[in-house]
Amino acid sequence: MANLSIDAVKERTYDAIVIGSGISGGWAAKELAEKGLKTLVLERGRDVKHIKDYPTTSMNPWEFEHRGQLPLDVRSQNPVISKCYAFYEGTTHFFVKDNEHPYVQEKPFDWIRGYQVGGKSLLWARQTQRWSDFDFEGPARDGFAVDWPIRYKDIAPWYSYVEKFAGISGNKDGLPNLPDGEFLPPHEMNCVESHFQKQVASKYKDRHVIMGRCAHITKPEPIHLQQGRAQCQHRTICERGCPFGGYFSSNASTLPWAARTGNMTLRPNAVVHSIIYDEDKGKATGVRVIDADTKEATEFYARIIFVNAAALNTNLILLNSTSRRFPNGLGNDNGLMGKYVAFHNYRARVSAEYDGFLEYTTDGRRPNSPYIPRFRNVYKQETNFLRGYAAGFSASRMSVPGGDGLGASLKESLLNPSLGGWRVGSHMMGETIPKESNYVSLDLKQKDDFGIPQLKVSIDYDNNDEKMIQDYFEQISEMFTNAGFKNIRTSDSKQAPGLDIHEMGGVRMGHDPKISLLNKWNQLHACKNVFVTDGACMTSTSTQNPSLSYMALTARAVDYAVNELKRMNL
Amino acid sequence: MKRRVLIKNMALAAVGLMFLPACETGTKKAAAQSLPVSLSSGQETLLAEVVDTIIPATDTPGAKELNVHFFVYNMVTDCYEQEVLESFVKGLDTVEDITQNNFGKSFGECNAAQRTEILGKLERSGKDDQKEFFALVKKLTIQGYMNSEYVMTNLTNYQMIPGHYYGCVPVKESKQAA
Repeated sequence: MANLSIDAVKERTYDAIVIGSGISGGWAAKELAEKGLKTLVLERGRDVKHIKDYPTTSMNPWEFEHRGQLPLDVRSQNPVISKCYAFYEGTTHFFVKDNEHPYVQEKPFDWIRGYQVGGKSLLWARQTQRWSDFDFEGPARDGFAVDWPIRYKDIAPWYSYVEKFAGISGNKDGLPNLPDGEFLPPHEMNCVESHFQKQVASKYKDRHVIMGRCAHITKPEPIHLQQGRAQCQHRTICERGCPFGGYFSSNASTLPWAARTGNMTLRPNAVVHSIIYDEDKGKATGVRVIDADTKEATEFYARIIFVNAAALNTNLILLNSTSRRFPNGLGNDNGLMGKYVAFHNYRARVSAEYDGFLEYTTDGRRPNSPYIPRFRNVYKQETNFLRGYAAGFSASRMSVPGGDGLGASLKESLLNPSLGGWRVGSHMMGETIPKESNYVSLDLKQKDDFGIPQLKVSIDYDNNDEKMIQDYFEQISEMFTNAGFKNIRTSDSKQAPGLDIHEMGGVRMGHDPKISLLNKWNQLHACKNVFVTDGACMTSTSTQNPSLSYMALTARAVDYAVNELKRMNL
Repeated sequence: MKRRVLIKNMALAAVGLMFLPACETGTKKAAAQSLPVSLSSGQETLLAEVVDTIIPATDTPGAKELNVHFFVYNMVTDCYEQEVLESFVKGLDTVEDITQNNFGKSFGECNAAQRTEILGKLERSGKDDQKEFFALVKKLTIQGYMNSEYVMTNLTNYQMIPGHYYGCVPVKESKQAA
């Protein structure tokens, strides 16, 4: 066969392969290429070039045929993604449609995916908080999952490293449970948010309301300008892609940076079937790829492989990478791969009204909101449930257009709206406990269009989550009451897992190969030249939005991998 | 020659499509569902008059001039269930019927006060379908009007790029942008 000739193999051989071009894959690409490795980045979806491929980015509201609303047929054909807050007329092109890549829901799971260059980094909510040792020590202290093989000191310099490049805005709050980072100037709180901050600080010793830390360039540093990015313009239509590069995405930041080194080859429409394991060499030698358009299979080879396909698809690829040595999936000697998947509980909200500060309002828009770091069970176990929750918080005043009547009076009242009172709201971000019974596995009977087994997803809430929701309702309501907020209402969306878009685990890190899949360098215990640095590696979830940790773990793992390559250890 | 005919037909088709769903995915549903109900030219004119009665021209343009009737029909066609579309079309006929019964002429021949009276009857009607028809048309008319280019650029100070967020501005000094 022609494609087995030595030249052709050489053409398809790189120093490193990165599977996936989302938030962690982009970082792997940048770090590997900057360190001089010829790097192939495989992306299963189409190419999305920064600015050029953001078709709706500069569209005015009136230019959308349905003013943003989704047509009925789009909603009825896509019941899962239609639940996602970011899926609307301006963003449909960045979401995987429900019928495009089927999966088996043993239990309801709303799997939100973005198959394109940049992945979900185009769509993310951009909140970026560091973990602390109160998070890393959670499993060991509270006796669940396995002990994290790293602590804050291991990752802290890498947080700094990625924050400086990505551009993170925030306030140095000096909280031990939410460490400060390398911050650009913070966004502003409004009067009611500041009021709440002060009220909470005066009534609770260990509870804090801070400005959210987010991946927006509030004031560009030279490193951001060098990336071709500019100051965030407060458009708050980020999910359509930002022509200013005001928020961090692979498309605006890491991928063009990697491309500039001349060491990166980006290959869109490349669906990874599996990783090739060579028994004689005792390591992975490459990946099997199926072209998304032609369905043609090709193999690519490299000395190291980074798996960054997004948490559940990383599980899928590894489970599907079977060989005589690894009949149950690459590196899966202990049978735990795909198990202990967890997520964030986003079901609960509390809203209220405030009748103070009526002489003040806000001006402009803010792509961020205040944040309440976890205050439950931080220093010791104090409730009847394990772990805790962080919460988003925000206050706003809306124009209330008069809608009564007909004719000239209606028109008059529409064009002269009155300013409504302040409304406040909070949403919960709860830690869920990874369990063996929350798992993904391969459905060997049902395959997708590429002949790859479909992913079976079996993930659910448990009693710990239910108790935590009740506590969140009680505590936030109490804090709202103490701040003088009125008309407090709680709501439980009962949404299925998945819609939080924070699924994590399945290929967890740990010290012991018998009970974990990855070591402290995100390296498969049993196949040392394969690294997993996306959400799949997470031993536990804590409450922080996870992307910043994926970025830091990725940069750290690449540094280690390249050093090991130099020492001829891989 | 053939090419010229084709272009001409395409132009005609484009005119005909004005009232049909034009969104990317809208074209795919025809096979599965029954075809969307289309409006007669009389109904089309009537809808324009109805939206213009809800939001009339004053010293600024009214809903008809801003083509809000196209938006209303487009939304009902693309974003609502088939039953809603059918009762919407029926509702237009009802408007005409009630007008004939009350004034012995068509809605189009009525003056502004008479038109307002007819729509007021629908709004306060004891019949659910009439009430719902009016509520839907009014809601969509307001949505289309408030989100029209004219209103957003000339009247409500929409800014695509505010460039800032100030958290504490005295109401007196605020521009109150929507």
